[in-house]
Formats: sequence, C-alpha cells, structure tokens
Amino acid sequence: MTLQPVSVGLKFGFLIVLYLFLMWVAWSALRDLRRGSGVVQSDRAPSPDATGMYSAESGFGDAELDGLDPRLLVEHAPGHEPGMAYELGNGAMLGRGDVEIKLDDPFASSQHARIFREGPVFVIEDLGSTNGTYLNDEPLNGPQPLHPGDRIRIGDSEFSFLQ
Amino acid sequence: MSARNRELVGLIPASLLVTAGFAGVFIQRSNVLSNVSLTYGAIFLGLCVAGHILIRMTLPRADPYMFPLVALLASFGLVMVYRIDSTLARQQAQWFVLGLILFAATIILFRDYRRLERYRYTIVLVSLGLMVLPRFPGIGYSANGAYLGIRIPGLFVFQPAEFAKIGLVIFLASYLSDTRQVLVVGARRFLGVTIPPIKHFGPVVMIWGVAMLILILLHDVGSSLMFYGGLLAVLYVATSRISFVVVGMVAFALGAWYLGTHISHIHARVEDWLHPFDPRLYASPLGSYQIANGIFAQAAGGLFGQGFGQSTLVFPGAKCCLIPNPGTDMIYAIITDELGLFGAAAVLITYLMFVARGFKTAVMARDSFSTLLASGLSAMFALQVFVIVGGVTRVIPLTGVTLPFISYGGSSLVANFVLLALLLLTSDRARRPAQ
Repeated sequence: MTLQPVSVGLKFGFLIVLYLFLMWVAWSALRDLRRGSGVVQSDRAPSPDATGMYSAESGFGDAELDGLDPRLLVEHAPGHEPGMAYELGNGAMLGRGDVEIKLDDPFASSQHARIFREGPVFVIEDLGSTNGTYLNDEPLNGPQPLHPGDRIRIGDSEFSFLQ
Repeated sequence: MSARNRELVGLIPASLLVTAGFAGVFIQRSNVLSNVSLTYGAIFLGLCVAGHILIRMTLPRADPYMFPLVALLASFGLVMVYRIDSTLARQQAQWFVLGLILFAATIILFRDYRRLERYRYTIVLVSLGLMVLPRFPGIGYSANGAYLGIRIPGLFVFQPAEFAKIGLVIFLASYLSDTRQVLVVGARRFLGVTIPPIKHFGPVVMIWGVAMLILILLHDVGSSLMFYGGLLAVLYVATSRISFVVVGMVAFALGAWYLGTHISHIHARVEDWLHPFDPRLYASPLGSYQIANGIFAQAAGGLFGQGFGQSTLVFPGAKCCLIPNPGTDMIYAIITDELGLFGAAAVLITYLMFVARGFKTAVMARDSFSTLLASGLSAMFALQVFVIVGGVTRVIPLTGVTLPFISYGGSSLVANFVLLALLLLTSDRARRPAQ
C-alpha cells in the first residue's frame, strides 16, 4: 500500500487536467464568440438562421425577411461586374430581351427565366428557354423554391440567391 | 494561435489522461507504478496526431475543438473499459483504430458531403433495411428482450442502429431542405397554433412510423426515443413550427404508453424504473438489480470518487457481477463511482461542449442541407447521451444504448467516428470564406 498517495494524486491530477482542459475549451470558444466568430467575414455570411423560415410566420409580403432584402448576387456574367447585386423586390425576369435583369449572354433566350414571390418564398421558373436554366448545377424542371445560397446558372452567367 | 494548432494542443490533455488513468489502474491492480502507462499515452497521442494531421491537410477550417473533445471522451472510454476488463479494452483499442480509419475514409470519400443528398433514397432504404436485420433468425441476437444486433458467428457482432441513425439524419436533412417550404406555406392557424394541411404531416408520420417500427419489431425503447427525438429536432429546425413538435410528442407519448402497458418486457422496464428498491423486483430476473446497484455505486462515489480501480464490480467469490453490463450500459455509473460527482460532471460537460460545437456549426452553415445535417447529428448524439445517462441516473427507464465514444462497443465507436467526420466536414465548409 506504499503507492496509495500516488494513486490519490493521480486521481486528483486526472480531475485537474480534465477541468483545466474544459475551461480552456470554454474560454477559447467564448473569445471566438466575442470576436464575432471572426472566421466568416464576408457579406455572403448567412443570415443567422440559414434555414431562414422564421419569416414564414410573419405574414405575407412584408419586408421582415431577416432585415435583408432578397437579391441576386452576380458571381460572374458577361457584361456585369462580379459582386454586384440585383434586388428582387417581388420578382424579376431574366433574359436577353427587355426585362428587369438583362443578360449579355449568347446562350440566354430573350425571356429566359423568371423569379417570383409566393408569400415568403421565392420561386424560380424557366420560361421555356432554349438552353435551360440550372439551379445548383441541376437542370430546372418546373418551378422550384429558392433557398439562400442557391446558385442559378444561365449559359455563362452565374448568380447566387441571397435573402 | 491558429485553429489547427489549438486542436493539436487540445490533444495533449487527452493523452495525459490516458497515462494518468492507466497508471492509476495499474497501481490498484498490481501495486506497481509501471511505465507501460506512458507507452499507452504515447500511442494514444500518436493515433490522435495522425487524425489531426489528416484534418489539417483536408479540412483546414474545421472546428478545432470537436476532435480534442472526442479524444477526451475516447481516453475516458479506454481507461474505464480497461479497468473493467482488459480483454475488452484490447478490442476497444482495435475498434478505436478502425474508427479512426473510417473517420479518415469518410473525410476523403465525402470531401463534398453534399453529394450524399443525391443518394438519399438509397441511404434511407439501406438504413431501414439494416435496422430490421436483427429480427431475422439466424443472424439476429437479442439482449434482455430487445433485438439489438446481428451476429455472424466467428466474424463479428454489429449493431445496425448505430449506423442507421446517421443514414436517417442524412435522408431527413436532404428531404426537408427541398420540401420544408411546402410544409409551412398554406398552413392555417387554429387557437394560436399553426396547423399545416393534413397531407404535409407526411414526414412526421414517417418519423413516427420509424420510431414505432423500432419499438414494435425490435423492442428497443432507447434507440426508438433517440431516433424520434433526433428526427423531430431536424423537422423543427427545418420548419420552426412548434406544432410539429407538440403533435409529435403527443403521438410518441400515446405510442409509448400503449406499448409500456401492453408489451411485457417494456412494462417490466417501467416497473424497474419506478420501484428499483422494491425487494420483489430487485430479486427477480431482469429486475431492478442493475438499476439499483448502479445507483448505490454512484452514491458511493461521493464528490471526488473512490479512485481508479476502486469500484467493487464483483463480490469476492460471487458467481456474477455486482453491476451487470459494466462496460456498456452502466459505464457511467462506474465513472461516477471512481471519479465522483466531479468526474461525472466533467463527462457531461464534455458532451455538452461537443454538442454545442455541433449546433454552432449548424448556425454557421450557409445552405439548408448543412444546417439540417449538423443540427440533426448533434441532436441525435445529445439524445443518445441523454437516454443512457438518464437511464442510469433513473430519470427515464433504463434502456440499452451506448454512451458514445466511452462505452465498450465496436459499432458504436466506429459509427460515432463517422458522425464526427460528417460534422467536421460541415464545419469546414461553413467556415470557408466565400470565394
């Protein structure tokens, strides 16, 4: 029984190391939080709720969508500056012709696709274009709801939907 | 300090704990202060550093605390399982290595984990298929009336529910990220509660069906509760409708009440839970013996515990164990016995922090699939801890699920490493700055 003190020491040592470690994790996590989680620093950072469904309860048509207006961000598109954004309001048409969002893209039809609002949800629909519309690299068949961060591609033009 | 260096530093305490724990057990067992414990600590550190290097190379922005927290839990597991049975510990160490290999494989194969969305129906079918396998004669086996796993004699024993929980979360996250709008639009309000149209209760009914299937076919209350709660959490995050949760809870309560009163093995569990110290139940086979002795063991731990290896698991000369299933179901009671309230609280805090990191990942994620996946996996993990710790501490009836990363059990350890890999993948993507 000569090693009894060592055994007790080990037990308390174990507990002390354990708690120091947990305090370290909690402390560093807290510091991250204070710095505003400094990792994601861009205007594409998500609204706090990436599922963004709180707005659905607040009735229709009012602009309480997390304080951010729904908009289309230009990723890259001929004739557009990457990073600029189109506000969507209650909907918009995309195409080469006389529409809200003009595409300077040889692969776009004159009235290519439209985005419209159904209550709190924005929906995208292809208007029978020649070369199709791609939502997150999948060809669009029929109307599809848009989620924040979705990528819309028409020909060589690519946008992302933000809300 | 950069995130990855913080992760590396965080692995040191876990390895120290392995060394200290093994040294403590050695002293208790043979009264020697052996340097083998240092070797074990070094091997453990080596394995963790290997995992860390992989993360450093492939997921540079992943959450830096998740991996050290898991290493801490695993170090607890290895020490406690070794203290209970050294043969089991050798197997547990092998499972730990296999878990790390699968962890690496998941990270490398599913670098773009959103590919999983494409296989969602395959994933859910395989998961459900795996889950009913234990019911087939010949390969299935049961423990205490619940059909828990499949056994291929001489090869391996496998608990499919551990993997199915990940598959079902992937399916539901992917399904709801497409259809959650539909569930909310067109809802009516009645007495202040939003009630979606009947047809949109489909996912709730499906989840409820899965939970009841587990209960009726497999008689496994623990997994059933874990699945149901986890999937309901995904549904709540997807729709932010409390009505789904309320309806779901009521449906579950009704189902649980019916089964608790009509299926004898579940009814017995409830009786054991309510009256563990009733001498009649205590003495009966499959009675409250386990639960009551677990509580005695936890009480004996006091504030700081009795020390490593000091818990009495077997009476000298007795035929069977004082606490049945010490390495799996009751491991939390043994930890409380040997490290006391402080040790047990530290385990719970570690779980809490891990789950908090998981939910933080969910909040930071930029697409709805990632959000739902991270919150679903975290919720499932948290509920698994709740079900078993709650059972051992007599908050809910005791049912056999494993304590993640700590309990002895190959499937559990390996499956939870896959879960960790998915959470790290999600968090790396969430923290990546936009191009």
